[in-house]
Amino acid sequence: MGRTLRELRPVRVVGIGLHRYQRMSETSFVTLGLTAVREALADAGLEWSNVESVYNGTALLGLAPTRVMLRHLGATGIPMAQVENASASGSTAFAQACFEVASGISDVVLAMGVDKPAPIAIAAAKAGIRDLVGSRVSPMTHFALLTNEYMHRYDVRPEQVAQVAVKNSRNGAANPYAQRQKARTLEEVLAPPQISGALTRLQCCPIGEGAAAVIVASDDAIARLGLESERAPRVLASVTRTERVYPGAKNFDAELTRETTSLAYEQAGVGPQDLDLIECHDAFAIEELLYVEAMGLCGEGEGAAMLASGDTAIGGRCAVSPSGGLLSMGHPIGPTGAGQICELTRQLRGEAGIRQQPGARTGLAHMVGIGAVCVVHVLQAG
Amino acid sequence: MPERRAAHPGLYPARGEHPPLLGQCCARCGHVAFPPNPYGCESCGAEADSLESRALAGAGELAAFATVHLHAGKGIEAPFTVGLIVLDDGPAVRATLTCRTDAGLAIGDRVQSVLVPQGADDAGNETVELRFEPLPRAASAGDA
Repeated sequence: MGRTLRELRPVRVVGIGLHRYQRMSETSFVTLGLTAVREALADAGLEWSNVESVYNGTALLGLAPTRVMLRHLGATGIPMAQVENASASGSTAFAQACFEVASGISDVVLAMGVDKPAPIAIAAAKAGIRDLVGSRVSPMTHFALLTNEYMHRYDVRPEQVAQVAVKNSRNGAANPYAQRQKARTLEEVLAPPQISGALTRLQCCPIGEGAAAVIVASDDAIARLGLESERAPRVLASVTRTERVYPGAKNFDAELTRETTSLAYEQAGVGPQDLDLIECHDAFAIEELLYVEAMGLCGEGEGAAMLASGDTAIGGRCAVSPSGGLLSMGHPIGPTGAGQICELTRQLRGEAGIRQQPGARTGLAHMVGIGAVCVVHVLQAG
Repeated sequence: MPERRAAHPGLYPARGEHPPLLGQCCARCGHVAFPPNPYGCESCGAEADSLESRALAGAGELAAFATVHLHAGKGIEAPFTVGLIVLDDGPAVRATLTCRTDAGLAIGDRVQSVLVPQGADDAGNETVELRFEPLPRAASAGDA
């Protein structure tokens, strides 16, 4: 019988760092990654020589980018590996780092993510199984179909879905690491170009470049290295699930999130009512509504009403994507999941400045990757 | 001699007014799937020799639709409309609809398969693609 993260020795986040998410530029991935890692080391008060192992979430850079980048911190010879898990690559890198510390194999581990836009080659296209639509159903159209189905089922208007992007643009405008830092009105969000179905450009996340770094440590390391334990939230749960077979036209994205989140609640010993904030996989506006319902923050079909009530805004009952989420902070693929942990940590420390969720004590990070995979982490203030 | 070919060989026959979709049924667990695969059953893990061909009627109900306004791929020009269709024989499939836009479409509409000509190659071979066409709604008392 296996054990959960919480049954092993405690894992805490001691350092966070980011390179701003931005449009594709001349900046090399080495600079992006080093910026985030150096910031995380400084934040933790650690030297690079204290880091014992690295997991790097990356999907688009090509073979073996990690040592090429990190050798410029001093080639200490530590184990390093790339982690690819589609959009959840950075989340899975973080999960692996947590497991390594929890198991006692290492005391201080770096989880990071770095990517730059590049043509995406999806392995499913090489599986030799063709369907009727192929590339005609892009991720945008996949979620446009879900938007259409949701609006019909719950009698929701396109403006109500678009409000997700309005809220998250407001959050992103307060985040110096966000790719989109402009607060948008409903009119701006609904403005053309229409991409697919009801989805406009601003209801789709930008895919740019960036990096995120998270350093996790054991209590032994925190004591030995004199780190600030009150600034070090504990990772209470780490759960990954993959898609199963669901009947008929059942929305597998929501089902997968429901199942993964429910296991994470159980492992962490918390429920949806305990969450002060969530970083949610809102690659497309409809996803936030689907997932807050699947996470049990409200009942089925009540997501739009919950959003309109202000309960998911910063200062509300549970702030959803105070970073701006994928819609505004951006989705550079590899870094995104690690960047969510940076935001949770900043919030749980009370260091999020003008986008601080008051009294934030418990937070959840949620990523979905094509394939499909879902990764959920629960963190609690130190 | 010129032939008629399916744009997706193996997924439907190249002839017929309302052709079936060529799916699979697992002899071990009964799971019905489309598209077919040569590897094993997604539901119970039975090996490929348990997966029997099963023709699924090209008829079902529209569960969702979306008009694609921007599309970079080959073979079709935007706008076009895709639908999620729950087949009467079980599986949900995504397919291109015969209507370019979603004007007049509604979730719950009945749809049926049709073969749409996609042109011919130099040898005169004609390619046909399976799409779904919405059926007129039966008039109800409320429509009067």
